[in-house]
Parts: sequence; structure tokens; C-alpha cells
Amino acid sequence: MKKTLLAGAGSLALVAGMAHAQDLAFAPGEGPFSWDSYDEWAANAPDLSGQSLTVFGPWLSPEDGYFGNMLAYFEAATGVEATYTGSDGFEQQIVIDTEAGSPPNIAVFPQPGLAANLAEQGLLTPLADGMNDWVAENYAAGPSWVALGTYADAAGADQFYGFFFNVNVKSLVWYVPENFEDAGYEVPETMEELIALSEQIIADGETPWCIGLASGPATGWPATDWVEDIMLRTQTPDVYDQWVSNEIPFDDPRVIEAIETFGMFARNPDMVAGGPGGVASTDFRDSPAGMFSSPPQCYMHRQASFASAFFPEGTVVGEDADFFYFPSFAEKDLGSPVLGGGTLMAVTDPSPAVDAFMEFLTLPIAHEIMMAQTGFLTPHSGVNLEAYNNDTLRNQGEILLGATSFRFDASDLMPAAVGQGSFWTGMVDYVGGTSAEDVAGAIQDSWDAAK
Amino acid sequence: MDSIAGKKPGLTWAVNLSVLAMVLLWIFPTLGLFVSSFRTGDQIVASGWWKALFPAEQIVQLRVADPDENRVERDGVFRVEGNFFLTGELTGEIQAFGVSSRDLGAHAPGEAADMGDGESLAVNADGSYVWSGSDDQISGRGQRVFVTATVPPDFSLDNYDTVLGEGVVQDLISWLVGAALVGIAGFLALRALLPAHGPVLAVGAALLYGAFALIAALRAGLVGTTPFVATGLVVVIAGAAYVLVRRAMPEAARTMAWVLGITAFAVFVTDFGVGTGVGAATASEDMAKAFMNTLTVVIPATVIPILVAAFAAYALAWMDFPGRALLIAAVVGLLVVPLQLALIPLLKLHNEVGIGKGYVGTWLAHTGFGMPLAIYLLRNYMVGLPRDIIENAKVDGATDFQIFVRIILPLSFPALASFAIFQFLWTWNDLLVALVFLIDSSGQTTVMTKQIVEILGTRGGDWEILATSAFVSIAVPLIVFFSMQRYLVRGLLAGSVK
Repeated sequence: MKKTLLAGAGSLALVAGMAHAQDLAFAPGEGPFSWDSYDEWAANAPDLSGQSLTVFGPWLSPEDGYFGNMLAYFEAATGVEATYTGSDGFEQQIVIDTEAGSPPNIAVFPQPGLAANLAEQGLLTPLADGMNDWVAENYAAGPSWVALGTYADAAGADQFYGFFFNVNVKSLVWYVPENFEDAGYEVPETMEELIALSEQIIADGETPWCIGLASGPATGWPATDWVEDIMLRTQTPDVYDQWVSNEIPFDDPRVIEAIETFGMFARNPDMVAGGPGGVASTDFRDSPAGMFSSPPQCYMHRQASFASAFFPEGTVVGEDADFFYFPSFAEKDLGSPVLGGGTLMAVTDPSPAVDAFMEFLTLPIAHEIMMAQTGFLTPHSGVNLEAYNNDTLRNQGEILLGATSFRFDASDLMPAAVGQGSFWTGMVDYVGGTSAEDVAGAIQDSWDAAK
Repeated sequence: MDSIAGKKPGLTWAVNLSVLAMVLLWIFPTLGLFVSSFRTGDQIVASGWWKALFPAEQIVQLRVADPDENRVERDGVFRVEGNFFLTGELTGEIQAFGVSSRDLGAHAPGEAADMGDGESLAVNADGSYVWSGSDDQISGRGQRVFVTATVPPDFSLDNYDTVLGEGVVQDLISWLVGAALVGIAGFLALRALLPAHGPVLAVGAALLYGAFALIAALRAGLVGTTPFVATGLVVVIAGAAYVLVRRAMPEAARTMAWVLGITAFAVFVTDFGVGTGVGAATASEDMAKAFMNTLTVVIPATVIPILVAAFAAYALAWMDFPGRALLIAAVVGLLVVPLQLALIPLLKLHNEVGIGKGYVGTWLAHTGFGMPLAIYLLRNYMVGLPRDIIENAKVDGATDFQIFVRIILPLSFPALASFAIFQFLWTWNDLLVALVFLIDSSGQTTVMTKQIVEILGTRGGDWEILATSAFVSIAVPLIVFFSMQRYLVRGLLAGSVK
């Protein structure tokens, strides 16, 4: 192999290559895990010793370690040597690797749009027959997950490519319970109450919201989540779907209404810490810190389930900080819509080990091991909810399982020029003072240009 | 008659001021990064680095001890007592405290804060506190307390532990300081004892180094003494060899000194720098691997393009053949082609040829991407060398190869060195080419830049790690730059003046 070439360099190297015998993170047979189905599967699993499986995705530390712990159970059952590598430039690198012909076995896509592009070029391999039926039956809101993972192949025929693994819920508002207690505020149940609470906080001379849009080259994306969440609360899911597929234009009055509702929060200097200028310039990772400063700079922060990763060190989620569901308008009667995102696994280089691994992912244990370690949510209805790492996650998992309608992050589904381009920048312009009509019109123009 | 030589130009102050401004512009952010690398993420978010250097009045949010474990009942009143200073949660001087997030500095130290229904909390200036109330009130979680305190500056090496591994920086610094002290003491002693400098001094220094390696071994608790003794032996033998070579061939001594220096550096790096686990310093395994991988990429990726480009530059400068001007124009044209264009086709080619992803492919890619600049720079320098020398050599019957090796190459040293610095820095800092051509999904190949990105985490934003990594990864380029900078200054002028 090539690596023997490096023996010369390696002789300088100090670290003797050591086989890291990975211990299993949770002892088999113990804890709230579905060991029975795992044992049964492991007993019948093909012996694939000597084969290797490579998984490439966007997760870096510490998530890569958690994922590696999960892989260890697959390794134990089949003898496959599985490795995960992560990259923050995943989106570019997977395109280069697949096009040039040196892909990993499995790629973990953060955006369905990118997977759809690769599928169209024939660079992905469809999942085994029956996988789509399995997802439809075993995932909460199953058909919508199947639809999100089904793309046209090179010949134009629809195939099931993407298996969703690791989902996050975006419709959450984070707050500090003790700050609410000190000020005598109640957790709002409806959007009307939430708006009333915000006004109450302003009347008390404080600032209700922390919003931060800055995120390097992706600056603006947190605002797209706001608009999407509000769309789901002001319009029916059908309208949302039409908006995603551009059957209704971006500058439709209903979309503009959603943008302006967001503006009610983000463009009001009293409503948001730092004023609209601060919204655009604050990093989304730094903005939750405002809730924890003393005195608090703000009382609420709307962000996805992963926001807890950016809380100050030592914050106990569930005690020091908690969340409530971003409520819907009582008067609109649209149920409890949930906005979410997630990563999907797709096969870029098929092998027997890949088939076995995709089968392994349908077992509850694969999800439970992840649930027990990190902020991992799953729509798999067969898992034991006891396995969630903490109550907060369990509550989020229940929101996911109990959603009357689940919709995927619209910006991840729109064409890249819009969803990862003009929508982001447009929202920054909007917060900066451009009118909602102008912004929406410009985004629609960029969409027309991308067609 | 204003411009007579010897008269001071009137605008000197403007020049001085702009130089000062430029220096500050460079130093200020660098210093900020340096200070930030000793702070925690929460501190960085909370205040600017310039404030970190002075004691500051801060409002610290604390929590009294858990009532379930610590409360004491007396006459139906429950009390929780403790001390924030003793638990290490707080340092400095307490100015005021409060129990509600709405009124943070409500009470002076020593005062009791009334929380209604007989519940109260008092914090004293010495850090002690008493929280008392009924059974129901003194339960659940410990009460939050907001203490306004003057907190002294607080720095830690935790970030360096995260990036390099536990305790590596401390060990490196103590080792370097120790080495410097022993070296200076030895030098002074030798100079006093032996007025005749020269060979004896070299042997003495080598012996001292060997002795110091033994001391270091003792310091490490004699665990894995062998490498330390080996280090000492290597240096002693090398020192003796140096003396011999110096006697026999004085002109080769300079080269020998370089070889010695590089050997000492390599030994130093392997023994103390990275992850052998024999010394007290043990870098994290991943970082050590990434460091070696980066060197494996960088050294050939610097040497190969220089070798190839020097030949090409000579041909383009001094050999007459049809189409030479066109070739030069093509090379200059290639300078503006962005390398991103070539990523996919080149990787495809590597896969088809059978190299795949790996070091060889990375060396080739770096060579290709560095070549236009290398040829352009070297050719412009070589074309400026005096024609007479080359013609004289030709008259004397020298072949092109002899001219190249004997005349052009030694004369072009400044240009070669300056390009080497450029190429070294660019490949050292490179992430893109490594990601595309080297790092495959087996997880065995990684480089420093990739490793740093990984430490930053899935969503980034750990500025303290970023600042620390910047200072860690800058170390080797700094050594290269300072050891070769005199060539850079000369070499930058290469080709500009004929």
C-alpha cells in the first residue's frame, strides 16, 4: 500500500500506531436500551470481518466521538472496521470526492438539496428495496420523511436515497426559568400570549429577545428559521410546501406577512438586545449568552435544539435554562406545527458492509446509543424514550413524535442560490432596514435566475 | 537649495508616524489573539481582551450549596451555610450582592436580604453566607446569588492543554528555560576557563548538552531514560565530528553546523515536542500525528518545486530555443489561474493513474500549483545575472549543465531561499489542497490545519481555541522565517532591478 512509502517519514514519527480497541460505551444488556432486537440482529448478521466501512459527514468533535461509539456496536456485531471522518467543508468536499471518483461508503448530508443534486448526477446509490416502506411505517410523520429522502436519479426516475438520522427541532424558545421567576413571568401557551409577554417585558424596562444572525459566510440563516416558523403558524402546511417549491412566489403577500411578523421582533429596537444593528452583527453562537449575563440582557432566545451547546460552561439544561415550544396563534387553529432540520445518510459507494450498516440503522439501538450521549433526536417510533440523555431532550423528542405537522427547514430545500444564498442575505438586508416587499422581490428574482 | 544632501526632509515625522501606525496595526490584533488564548470562552464573550489585563468589577452569578445535602435545622429554622471564597467559586473583593436578577446590587456585604415570608440570605465580605428559612423555602436547588466583586485578572493554560495535550506547554517552557540557563552558565564558565575559543568550546557545549539531557532524564523520574541519553550521545558524537571536520575541511564546517542544528532540532522535537510519552511532555496523540503528517507534506512539497523550477528557469533564461518567449508568457499567464479550477480534474487524474488520495498526490499537486510562481521568480532572477560570466564559461567549454550547477545555482541562492519560504508558509497553512488530495475517509491522514478545525467543533465559535491554535501553528513557520529572513529580504528584490 501507499502507506508503506511513508515508512521513512514514519521512522521519525514517534507515535507507534496503536490499535485503539474501542470499548463499548454502554455495557450490553444494561440500561434503557433495546438490547433484544440488537442481539437478535447481531446473531444473524453476516460475518464481514476484514471489510471496512467509511462514513464521511459534517460532525466534528464532540459529536464525531459519539458517532464512533455507535459504530462500535456495529463493528462488534459484524466485524467490519468502520471509521467516521468529519469536515467542516463537507458540502464542497463530498462534491469533489464523488465527482473525482474517490468517495466514502456513506455520506451524511446536512441538506437534502445537496443530496438531490448528487442523486441527479448519478453519484448516489438508492437504498435497498423496502427501506422506504420501513421509514414510512416506523418514523413519526413517516411519509414526509420518505418524501424528503426521495430524489430523481440520473434517468429522472424517483428513487429512495436518503435515510434520516439525527433530527433537530427548531421551534423552540429558550429561557432562564429563574429569571422568569424573579420577574414573575409565565411561560406563554399561545403566540398571542408570547407577544403580550414581550410587550410586558418592554413595559418593565427590559429587553425580551436575543437574536443573532451572524454566522460567517452563512450569515442570516437564523432569520430564515424565524420566517419559516412564522409561516407554519400563519399559513397551512400546504401553503408552506408551495412556498418551498416556488409554486407561490416569494413575494406573495402571505410570505411578506411572515417576514413582517419577524420584523415585529427583530426590527424593533425595544424588542431585541442591541437593536436591529446588534441582530445583524451578533454571532448566533454568542447571542444566547445575553440570557445568562447579570443583569440579563434579554429573556428569550428562539433557536433549534442544538442551541444548548452554546450556553455558558456549566449550564444545566432543564434547570439553569429551559425551553418552551414556539407557540402557534390560538385564533388561526393550525395545530402544533413543528419546524425541523436533520442529517440524512446516503450511499456513495455501495458494498456488503454498507447494506449491513443501513440495516443496523433501522434498529432502535443505533438511535438509542446516540440519544443517550448527545443532543440527538429521532423520529423513530420504536425507540425507548427513557434512553434520552435528559428530560429536556426527551421533551424535544416528544414534540417531534407529537407533531401534527412536521416541515423541514425550507431554506435547506430551496435551490442553493436561494436557500443558501439570497434568502440569507435578504434577511440581513431586511433587518438592516430594507422593506419586506423589496427583499422578497429580490429573492424571487434570484430564484427566477436560478431556474 | 532645499534638497541639498544632509538637510533633513521636512516630512520625516509623517514617515515615522505611518510606520508606527502600521506596526501598531499589526501588533494590536496579534497581542489581542495572544491574550485571548489564555482566556476561557465565557470570558471572551463577556469582556474585551484589553480589560482582561486589569482587575475589573464583575457581577458573578453564584449558587449557594445544595440544600438537600447541606441544610441544618435549628428551632424549626433551616439554614445553609458556606463560603464562596473557600469553594473557589469567587476571588477578589465583594462590593455588593443581590438575590433577584432584577436588582443585582441591592445589598451591601453583611446585610441580610429579605426574600419574603421569613426567608433571608446574607453574604459577608469574607465570602461566607447564610441562607435561612422554612422547610419548604430551603429546598430544591441552591438559591442564586449575584455578587458584585472586584475580580483580579484570571488567565489559564487550559486552551493550550486542549490543543496540545495536558501540560505540554508548561513542560516545554520549563525545559527551554532550563536549557537556556544551563547553556548560558556553561558558555560563561567555558569562556572564563579557556581563553582559547574554538574547538574546545564546541566540545564543551556538546558535553554540557549531554549532561543536561541526563538532568532532564532525572527530572522525568528516570522513566524512559534511553532517549535522553541517546540525545546526549548524538550531540556529543556530532560535536566531536564537527571538530574533526573543522580541522580537516574548514570550508565544510558551515554546512556541518547547519546539519548539526537541524539534527538537534529534530532530536528536540522528537524527544520533547510531541507525543513520545517518554518525556514529561506528552502531546495529544492526534496533534502529534497531525504535526508529523504536516511535515511529511510540507518538506517534499517545498523541495520538489524548487528542484524542477530551477532547471526550467535556467532554460527559459539562458538557453536559446524557438518558442521560448511564448513559454514564458504561458507561465506568467498560469499565475492568474485559480487552483480551485484544477481540483476535480486533477484528483480524477490521480485516481485514474492509481495514486489516489495520499502523500504522493499531495506533493504533486503542491508542486504543480507552486510551479508558475517558482519559475517566474527564478527565471527573472537568473536573467539578471551578468551575461559575461556565462559566456566566459561557455568559451572555456562548460556545458549548460555545468554552468547551471557551478555558476547559476550558487548565485541564485537568495531567490531560491525566498521562494522556499513562500512555498513553505503556503503549504504549512494549506487546508484546501490537503482536504482534496490527502485526507480520505480512512481517518489516518490528517494535517495540523485540519486538526485545528476539528478541535473547533461542529459549529465552530470557540474563539479561545482558535486563538490558541493560531499561536501553536505559527511556531514552526516563525522558526523557518527568522532563520531564513535575511535571504527573504534580499530575495524579494530578485528580478526587480537589472
